[in-house]
Amino acid sequence: MLNALWIVLVGMVIIFAILGILLLAMILLGKLFQPSEEKKRNNS
Amino acid sequence: MEAITGEFLGFLNLSWQSAVMLIISGILMWLGIARKVEPVLLVPIGVGCMLANIPLGGAAEAGGFLAILREAGIHTEIFPLLIFVGLGAMIDFEPFLQRPYTILLGAAAQFGIFGAFFLAYLLGDGWLRLLDFSLRDAASIGIIGSADGPTSIYVSTMLQSKYTAAIVVAAYSYMAMVPIIQPPIIKAMCSKEERALKMRVIVGATSKRTKILFPIVTILVVGLITPKATPLIGCLMFGNLLRECGVVERLSLAAQNELANIVTILLGITVGGMMAGMQFLRPETILVFVLGIVAFSLDTVAGVLLGKLMSVLSGRKINPMIGACGISAFPMSSRVVQKLGLEANPYNHLLMHAAGANTAGQIASVVAGGVMLMLVPIFA
Repeated sequence: MLNALWIVLVGMVIIFAILGILLLAMILLGKLFQPSEEKKRNNS
Repeated sequence: MEAITGEFLGFLNLSWQSAVMLIISGILMWLGIARKVEPVLLVPIGVGCMLANIPLGGAAEAGGFLAILREAGIHTEIFPLLIFVGLGAMIDFEPFLQRPYTILLGAAAQFGIFGAFFLAYLLGDGWLRLLDFSLRDAASIGIIGSADGPTSIYVSTMLQSKYTAAIVVAAYSYMAMVPIIQPPIIKAMCSKEERALKMRVIVGATSKRTKILFPIVTILVVGLITPKATPLIGCLMFGNLLRECGVVERLSLAAQNELANIVTILLGITVGGMMAGMQFLRPETILVFVLGIVAFSLDTVAGVLLGKLMSVLSGRKINPMIGACGISAFPMSSRVVQKLGLEANPYNHLLMHAAGANTAGQIASVVAGGVMLMLVPIFA
């Protein structure tokens, strides 16, 4: 039973870690490559 | 006379298990055709189930066409991977890219996988030993909570579970039932004030470069940390790259239409063909379905709880209901949240915010599948 508990705990930690890294990467991508001004105007 | 009953007149060889499965196949087809519940899947599954349970038909026995499809498409994991290429080409990740924080809601909403896994293991080999659930079976049952058919097939096959057919049918059935499962849980957890909370409209598009780099970066990040998830995330993101790169429109359309449709037909009928009465009608199968609903419910609860926390931390700028969309069932759960938002406040349009969390949940569920594949052999 302990092994299952470890899988639950470690599993959730790893998922948050991977997706946290992906979140940082997406924020970075968003900052690096902003949409062009013209496109922004068209969408607003 | 013996030759006649042995080779012809299949109804004389009809066992009660096959008879029950034939009724179930009829119900599946009725749900798909008359009630329009996931018809694209339930009609082929229903037909496959019927073919597999006709005595002396041999469709699902060694050498039969359903057995050949099972060997070629399910046991090799080719069908779920090809479905993912089509799925990736169909999904527009822009709502997620505009709200990248929603990936955390996707992460939280995978708790149902682990909660149901733990329960299944407690009922099986882990403690009570009431049912024949090994650690691998329990992990495969938990993965129903990924709310994602291809991931469920891939993980349960990789873990060599005895209950793959039941797991896949449960995963697809509950995805269709998201509009029934989620609203009471969300309403119980969120007050009318919370449900009525409007979110800021995000204007401005995502740049083309970001959309193209997103699938590549996702493959690298997920693949390098959880290599076991590489085939799933690789195929999903490959499909999305075809869609977003803008130079292979023909391939993108083929992935969205021809590829996805052909594999859906083959996958559906093959999954149905795995529902042979003798193997399917066991007490464990019923428990697989019960644990599946537990997994979906825990997903929703965990997603909404993190949504509430994010709502408080953001100064009530986030509607906690969108946490429920961290479950991967796309686009059903987005529609559920949009409907509940409009019920509480006729001017509250949450669809794009919900779609952000929903597409994030798609990625999160694949990661969760890879994590399960990575951890189970270590702790088994």
